[in-house]
Amino acid sequence: MAMAISVAHVHRVVFAIASVGVMGVIVLVQRENVPWAQSFDLTLKVALWILLIRTFIGVSIGVPIPGTTLFTLPRIYLPEWMPGIRVGGPVTSERLSSALTEGLIICAIIIIFGAAASLTSPHRLLRVLPIFMYEFGVSVVIATSVLPQLVTSVARIRQAQLLRGQSLKGLASYRRLAIPLLEESLARSLELAAAMDSRGYGLHRKHTRYRPIQWRLSDSLIVLSGLLIMGLA
Amino acid sequence: MIKFSDVSLIYPNSTTTVLENLTLEISEGELVLVIGPTGAGKSSLLRLINGLVPHHTGGILAGDISVDGFSTREVKPGGLAHLIGIVGQNPINGFVADTVEEELAFAMEAMNLPSETMRKRVEEVLDLLSLAPLRSRTIATLSGGEQQRVAIASALVMHPKVLVLDEPTSALDPIAAEEVLSILHRLVHDLSLTVVIAEHKLERVIGFADRILYINGDGSTVIGKPEEIMKRSTIAPPIVHLARALGLEEVGLSVRDLRRKTQSLRESTPLSISPTYTPSPFAVIEIESLTLAYGTKLALDSINTTIFDNEIVAIMGRNGAGKSSLLRAISGVNVNQTGTVSVHALNPKNIHGKLRRQSIGYIPQEPSDLLYAQSVSKECELADKDNQIQAGTTYSLLAQLVPGISLNTHPRDLSEGQRLGLALSVVLSANPKVLVLDEPTRGLDYEAKKSLTRILLEFAREFNRCVVIATHDVELVAELASRVIFIADGEIVADGPTVEVLLSSPAFAPQVAKVMAPQPWLSVSDVIAAIEGSS
Repeated sequence: MAMAISVAHVHRVVFAIASVGVMGVIVLVQRENVPWAQSFDLTLKVALWILLIRTFIGVSIGVPIPGTTLFTLPRIYLPEWMPGIRVGGPVTSERLSSALTEGLIICAIIIIFGAAASLTSPHRLLRVLPIFMYEFGVSVVIATSVLPQLVTSVARIRQAQLLRGQSLKGLASYRRLAIPLLEESLARSLELAAAMDSRGYGLHRKHTRYRPIQWRLSDSLIVLSGLLIMGLA
Repeated sequence: MIKFSDVSLIYPNSTTTVLENLTLEISEGELVLVIGPTGAGKSSLLRLINGLVPHHTGGILAGDISVDGFSTREVKPGGLAHLIGIVGQNPINGFVADTVEEELAFAMEAMNLPSETMRKRVEEVLDLLSLAPLRSRTIATLSGGEQQRVAIASALVMHPKVLVLDEPTSALDPIAAEEVLSILHRLVHDLSLTVVIAEHKLERVIGFADRILYINGDGSTVIGKPEEIMKRSTIAPPIVHLARALGLEEVGLSVRDLRRKTQSLRESTPLSISPTYTPSPFAVIEIESLTLAYGTKLALDSINTTIFDNEIVAIMGRNGAGKSSLLRAISGVNVNQTGTVSVHALNPKNIHGKLRRQSIGYIPQEPSDLLYAQSVSKECELADKDNQIQAGTTYSLLAQLVPGISLNTHPRDLSEGQRLGLALSVVLSANPKVLVLDEPTRGLDYEAKKSLTRILLEFAREFNRCVVIATHDVELVAELASRVIFIADGEIVADGPTVEVLLSSPAFAPQVAKVMAPQPWLSVSDVIAAIEGSS
């Protein structure tokens, strides 16, 4: 968290890339073979896409920054009621670098959050939450645990459709996917609600905690060092 | 312990009553088995016990149900959580936490129990169900049998007086099923727990039951001792059918009973030689050094086999042995496999669209994955159009397979058997050269299984096609398959004619074979044929 804030604050490419590297190493070392561990790869992919799209838009649309011209894109002239916005035109190296820098910093922040999410399960997070947030926490946890199940269902249904000789392209294929998927998730959430209800969930206002996680000295140290990085930045 | 007084149940928009004037008392420490055709209302009855019906599902309830003095009219399901543990049909859908230990603690946390009590009870139940080695595992990575045990454990931590289970063994292999049932048996005897079970595979549970409740589906019910119910019931395990076929007066429910009664018969008939089995010489599916890995775990380890025309091959093995992986390799959807698979000299990975439909028909574990139309008629029309065959062909096929399905029904509202029938007719309408089925008998009653057997036999014999079927259902294999491939840990450990493979392993031998050993008879019809042949 502190790292993400500092990246945003320092606004330097080198620092952003370095912190992504550190996160990558930590994730590779600490990662367990659990469903949520995949989320780091996913955020990495998402971040790369964001970088690509942002850079493209950054260089092609916006106010020109004067400097050395690298190449010139064909310019599209907009109607007169949109003054000041330029699409296409000459691309300067300054413009490219500023777009890249901003993109990289955004990516770094996303990747840091992804790394944090991949190292801990939402359920584990729930156990360090204060007790008055329990109800809220449980609903968040259930919502997040539905997502991986949804992903496996999608894969399974697509496979079955493929085996029926249906193509997986086009609008119709989404329709074919959506209907069984919707039915399944509805049935599943009804079943989950029934199971939780019959296990007495929501009956008492107060909850006890099984094996609460203890706050240790090392945790304080981590928070302290986080604050320190932020302060330096 | 559980008291039903004059209970009737009807669902809105339904023409039939599920239960009518049921009066029943289940005493402490009793194990009651609920049987009946699919869709007769077994699950509804189980869910009435803790009030999920009607509190959760709706429906009109008359009469009163009380458990240990609490009426379900006044107390909601949550209020009975300390008294009744309920395990649903698909335990994976009811899990809330992601590791075994947290799942066990969930209900206790909700009940506000002190932390020390929780620790103690979790340890107790981990030992009771031998789950201790799995305590910190992620539930999603457990096998079906292990998940079922976790579900039972998470019900037992609450120290309930009543345990309700809906088809606890339907997804399990015979050995895992045996484990779960013997644990239940022990709980009934040691802790005097009251247990109510609904189950289709009677051959597995009937020996444990104190009483049977038979639900007809038209509102009427019969309750009695297993021996009495089995005298008349149409739903009966193979062992009872055998006793009836032999004209025995009393039906024995255990292999031991029936072995004693049939001793003279076994000895008077000369030991029959099982018919020699010759497959057709045309190889259809050829698999060579097929290896498939998920991460570091080998799901299939250099499999070599050839499947011929006209064969019905059953793939058996424990949960997670690699059966589904093999079927998917035959269908050509695995990504990271090595080795070669060919179906009619084609690589199944490279065929698409119409050619695929005509080469390989595949029925997945959830047949509804294949269906997406809003009604049965639309589904059939789509299949006709896809395969460019005459309109109405698919529906007439369906009418042959499972008669009496209304065209306007939504596929979701069909029973398990009917849905399988619909998926099967959609796939068969393309007239595939190979038919592959993954666990088709989950949740099917005896009637539906019988018609499935008939359909598959016809398909293989009349059209000279081959069928590959993965299943845990020993009795189905005995009736249906000509050859069995047994997989353990990704390797083929046995491959041969059904009689040989099934008889060589006691856990996988069908009931009739256990009764009739050393005679090589697998099913009731085998016995009758052999006796008639010898006399």
